Amino acid sequence: MQPAAGRSSDAPAASPGAPHDREALNPADRLQRAQHALLSRRRLSIRLRLVASLLLCFCLCCAFAAAAKDLLGRARGKLNLLQTIERLDDRILRVRAFEDEGILSGTDIDKVLEGARDAEDLFRKEAPALQAADREVLPALLAHLGTCRRLLTAVTTQGRERGGFGVLTPTQAGELRHAEAEANRLLEAMIRRERVSLSAIFRFAETGPLVLVGILLLLFAAITYCFAKALVNPIRRFEGYTSRIAVGDFSLIGPARRYRDEFSDLAVAVNQMLAALQEQQNRLVKGARLAVVGTMTSGIAHELNNPLNNISITAETLMEESTTLTDEDRWRLLQDIYFETERASEIVKSLLDFTRQEKREMVPLELGEIILSTLRLSQNEMNINNVTVAYDVPPDLPRIQGAANQLRQVFLNLFLNAIQAMPSGGVLGVSAAVRDQAGVCVEVHDEGAGIPAEILPRIFDPFFTTKEPGKGTGLGLSVSSSIIKKLGGDIQVASELGKGTTVHVCLPRAEEQ
Amino acid sequence: MPDNTSVMVLDDEPIVGDRLRPALAKGGFDVEIFTDSTAAIERLKQKAFGVLVTDMKMRGPSGMDVLRFVREHAPNTQVIVITGYATIETSHEANALGAYQFVAKPFKMKELVKLVEKASKLTAS
Repeated sequence: MQPAAGRSSDAPAASPGAPHDREALNPADRLQRAQHALLSRRRLSIRLRLVASLLLCFCLCCAFAAAAKDLLGRARGKLNLLQTIERLDDRILRVRAFEDEGILSGTDIDKVLEGARDAEDLFRKEAPALQAADREVLPALLAHLGTCRRLLTAVTTQGRERGGFGVLTPTQAGELRHAEAEANRLLEAMIRRERVSLSAIFRFAETGPLVLVGILLLLFAAITYCFAKALVNPIRRFEGYTSRIAVGDFSLIGPARRYRDEFSDLAVAVNQMLAALQEQQNRLVKGARLAVVGTMTSGIAHELNNPLNNISITAETLMEESTTLTDEDRWRLLQDIYFETERASEIVKSLLDFTRQEKREMVPLELGEIILSTLRLSQNEMNINNVTVAYDVPPDLPRIQGAANQLRQVFLNLFLNAIQAMPSGGVLGVSAAVRDQAGVCVEVHDEGAGIPAEILPRIFDPFFTTKEPGKGTGLGLSVSSSIIKKLGGDIQVASELGKGTTVHVCLPRAEEQ
Repeated sequence: MPDNTSVMVLDDEPIVGDRLRPALAKGGFDVEIFTDSTAAIERLKQKAFGVLVTDMKMRGPSGMDVLRFVREHAPNTQVIVITGYATIETSHEANALGAYQFVAKPFKMKELVKLVEKASKLTAS
């Protein structure tokens, strides 16, 4: 029934038949203590968790978008760089093409110089980009380009002096070619390297979204799992509470987790409701107790009027015959009055004992004593209905755990029902026996007409009665059942038409020290 | 015809009989006291009493049963029913069965004696 059994320490704050110290607390204190236990935990609301989860997802998406933007920027930079390097490479190649002859004409010199300047300008302009791309190659490249410029400048100066022709010495030409070839080689190596890194960026850009989808999937699964747990488990638990409350167990809900959330607020509200229900139930039990006394009015009136009548007529005799009576007679009459007064006050006392509100303490009780005192209370009802008792309760019965007056109320209900079921007399059977290690069972049997099978399931319903108006409230069995369940026991009825009805009441045994 | 001075008092409370016996005897009645209704019915089979004073609720046959028996076997006997718990239903039932009077406990002995006297005159006439 209860999910997540390990954590369901939401054991009712005071389970039926629970330790006495719990029972001894008054209901308001119990409620306050339960509410405090529920509310003193750290709050971690479902709303907060929902917002946090969504924020987490949002942040993740933002981070991915930023990463994608950065990646694109880097790709664009690489592409520009690649272009620059290619242009540079191209300029140098072009310059090299003019130099092939070894002798440069005037126009050639201009072109070579222009090409070299162009290359140098480009190089200067893109120096930061190149520097960022490759720090190690750059000085070498710079040195080679410097060499080219130095040589070309020298040739140009010479050429101008000579009137248009610039001639390189074989050493100079070799040096120039070597420098240019080295520059080309370095640039091409750079191009290759940049291409590789660019394709790596593209590869990363292809796999990135797939990775993100995977991560989001895992994240969603985790979030779903957490929320399912945070929502479904408490709902299951509350289902358990409702079925427990439905059978009359009004013990308060205690904390089940380390933190509190909206369900804790619900638990607090349910506890409020339980306290109110308990209050109502107590009032109902008390009302039903007074009502059962009401159904005994004929018996009580009879039982009280008989001694009163005896006192009245004896006193009348004393007054009327005061002169003729002997001392001995007078003594006998006074004694009658004395004992009849005792008898009347006994009746009043037993009624008061029964209706008195007792502390709802669970104490070990002798079942036999409870049954006998209740039988005494209903004795007169039995007398006037010609009902006799077959009493079979062993004196060595283990003690049971319960509240004396509530049990008296239950048994009085059962006895009166049995008596009323036998209007023309019969035998009321009362027996008890040990059921098992945990409980003791009492059987109350009558020889009445029995209860038809179709109404048997309804007899514990509140206000259900088969008695004529004014004779029964329909609360007797309903209240009896709720009392027995509250005491941690069980009540069942078996009936056979024409043979009679048997009520089984089982109660938990007291833990003997 | 029953002897109109003979009175039977039936009540399972012994004190009622104890107090009524001298009071009725003083009024000139011949009184027999019973506390058990079965024994009383046995006696009623043997003797027709002028007046029967009976309690209603008793172990064994009730006052109503005794009243019914008397109606059948001694129709001239006047019956006074006393009860600790008087309801309209029981008083109607007693009247329907022809009881002379219905008296609620606690009663005044003087009044009951007067009733018996009246009832016995009815028997005589």
